Amino acid sequence: MNNTTKWIVGVVIAALVVWGLVAANKNKNQRNPAQKTVMGDTYKVGVMLPLTGDAASYGEPARNIYQLAVDEINAAGGVNSKKLELIVEDSKCNGKDGANAAQKLISVNKVQVIIGGFCSSESLAATPIAEANKVALFSPGSSSPKLTGVSHFFFRNYPSDASQGAVLADVAYNKKSWKKVAMMQEQTDYALGINSAFSAKFKSLGGTLVNEEFATSATDFRSQLTKLKSQNPDALFLDTQTPASAARVLKQIQDLKWKPHLIVSDILPPDTATVELYKDLLEGALGAEVGTDATNPKFSHLQEAYKSKFNVDLPFATYGQTEYDAVYMVKAAIMAVGYDGQKIADWSRTVKDWEGATGKITIGADGDPLSRHSPVMIQNGKMVPFAE
Amino acid sequence: MTIVPQLIVNSLFAGSVYALMAMSFTLIFGATKFFNFVHGSFTVIGGYAVFYLVERLAWPIYIAIILSIIVAGGVGFILDKTVNLPLRKKKSTNTVKLVASLGLFIVIQAFVAILFTSQFQTLSNTIEQKIYQIGSAVFTQTQAVMFVSAIVVFFGIMLLLKFTLFGKAVNALSDDEEVAKIVGINTDKIISYVFFIGAAISGWVGILVAYDTGIEPTMGLGALLKGIIAAVVGGMGSVPGAFLGAFLLGFAENFGIWKINGEWKDAIAFGLLIIFLLFRPQGIIKK
Repeated sequence: MNNTTKWIVGVVIAALVVWGLVAANKNKNQRNPAQKTVMGDTYKVGVMLPLTGDAASYGEPARNIYQLAVDEINAAGGVNSKKLELIVEDSKCNGKDGANAAQKLISVNKVQVIIGGFCSSESLAATPIAEANKVALFSPGSSSPKLTGVSHFFFRNYPSDASQGAVLADVAYNKKSWKKVAMMQEQTDYALGINSAFSAKFKSLGGTLVNEEFATSATDFRSQLTKLKSQNPDALFLDTQTPASAARVLKQIQDLKWKPHLIVSDILPPDTATVELYKDLLEGALGAEVGTDATNPKFSHLQEAYKSKFNVDLPFATYGQTEYDAVYMVKAAIMAVGYDGQKIADWSRTVKDWEGATGKITIGADGDPLSRHSPVMIQNGKMVPFAE
Repeated sequence: MTIVPQLIVNSLFAGSVYALMAMSFTLIFGATKFFNFVHGSFTVIGGYAVFYLVERLAWPIYIAIILSIIVAGGVGFILDKTVNLPLRKKKSTNTVKLVASLGLFIVIQAFVAILFTSQFQTLSNTIEQKIYQIGSAVFTQTQAVMFVSAIVVFFGIMLLLKFTLFGKAVNALSDDEEVAKIVGINTDKIISYVFFIGAAISGWVGILVAYDTGIEPTMGLGALLKGIIAAVVGGMGSVPGAFLGAFLLGFAENFGIWKINGEWKDAIAFGLLIIFLLFRPQGIIKK
């Protein structure tokens, strides 16, 4: 190739690269209108959630709900006559990106409060950073038992999986008489937390367990499932981080012509699409969810508002309610004690019978809400309360 | 002991995928003599091409598959002509070529992620998956296709290499590039065609995986690494070696986790590689 040709090729490649970057950036901004910085009179609220990867299936609706709540608050006059502004970062449902997101929100955007992480791995990684910088970290979805009392600056309105594990173990052993459970656990903090809580209670009741773990990036579960199947368990606990991951395992369970009784982690029953797709396999599956109350006026308002703005039914309603409440609780905190991370964290421990879409919310000294999980099951492709 | 037939079946199918990757990788290695990382990209391209054609454009499956294989092969052909050829002419070292191929791999992966998002996509819901059963072993139609195609490709490549003029030229080229040039073989053209074939096979693996589990932009590296392990274990440059090495790897992995926890699967694969490198670096079949 002579010199002129080299130059031409070089310029073309450079142009392509620049175009690619601009297109990617444009896409990111189109999905992120809240990122337009409004100068001056706003309270900046950091948000970290998974916007890419498997967990985006619950991350994207979360962002919609936060924005919905903020728009409502700003339309009604804002907070102390200042508007709330969301600054959103993608924490990709893992610790490393969670830490990066928190670091960026705190050092670059200088927020005093962050709504996030969503996945437990994000929250666990971000908490030390929030604490060191005296920023309040408020999670509407992280449920790992390890977050209970982890830091004065972390609090949540979603209960710990100590509750989920205990409820599942109790129902499985006592009500369903499943004495031997096989466990397919994804290697994430959230899934591990549920496994530990379940296993402890299940073993203390007298049950036995067989454990297999898999990485989030794994796609071939056949030999592990074969191994578990050969142990003839009474039930299989599908402990996954995301519905997408559960779907991959369910497909291979189906391919192996295995129809075990199933126990699932709480991200699966509210995912109507996956439940519908595998409804035969999931018939009678046991789960534990934070309940929703259709008679709660704030909750039904959220459902209507989401439907009219986004043209779909509120997805993942169990998280939707806590996410919606989270924004309003931040507003209440700022109005009560001002825009200061330390004061907001202090305020959180005083929350008692705060009326939200989830009902009356009380947060204890350890940062956990008093709410608990209740058992559900899947019948005819739908999530219903557990009944014997 | 009823678990054994199922484990055998699982091993055969894992081995088939590794075999296809390994054979195509070793074929290209034999001709070009460097570790070509971009080989993993063809898997991604093949998988996403068929995804695009079937999901987005709703083309009939068989046409989409054939077109995707040609696209993957074509990209390989073009990349060889535009990137590898100049590097060969400049007599670059193998390290330079390896780094260039790694760069290409990353660029292609990023490009695919921009175009299709990094979400895991699956095609397995678009076709009726028949499930077969032999004794206590169960497998799907896609897996059967994997196994059959591995065998077909193996015999195809062996026949090509042994009985056609092109194949003999490839053998000559793998033996000694300089002498092949002296004898009058147009080595650059042969290498391009080898790239086309290798990339096409790699693209076919992507299509199979798309129908078996699913695709994401980062899938190329995993498939490639297992293919490389199989190729090294079997003997670099030897296609029968790659075939055997792949099935050895498949069996070692799937029987290995029978007694050990499943998360050690990759550890077993790389452990096998290290053992072979320590005790029999030339691989099962010496080339």
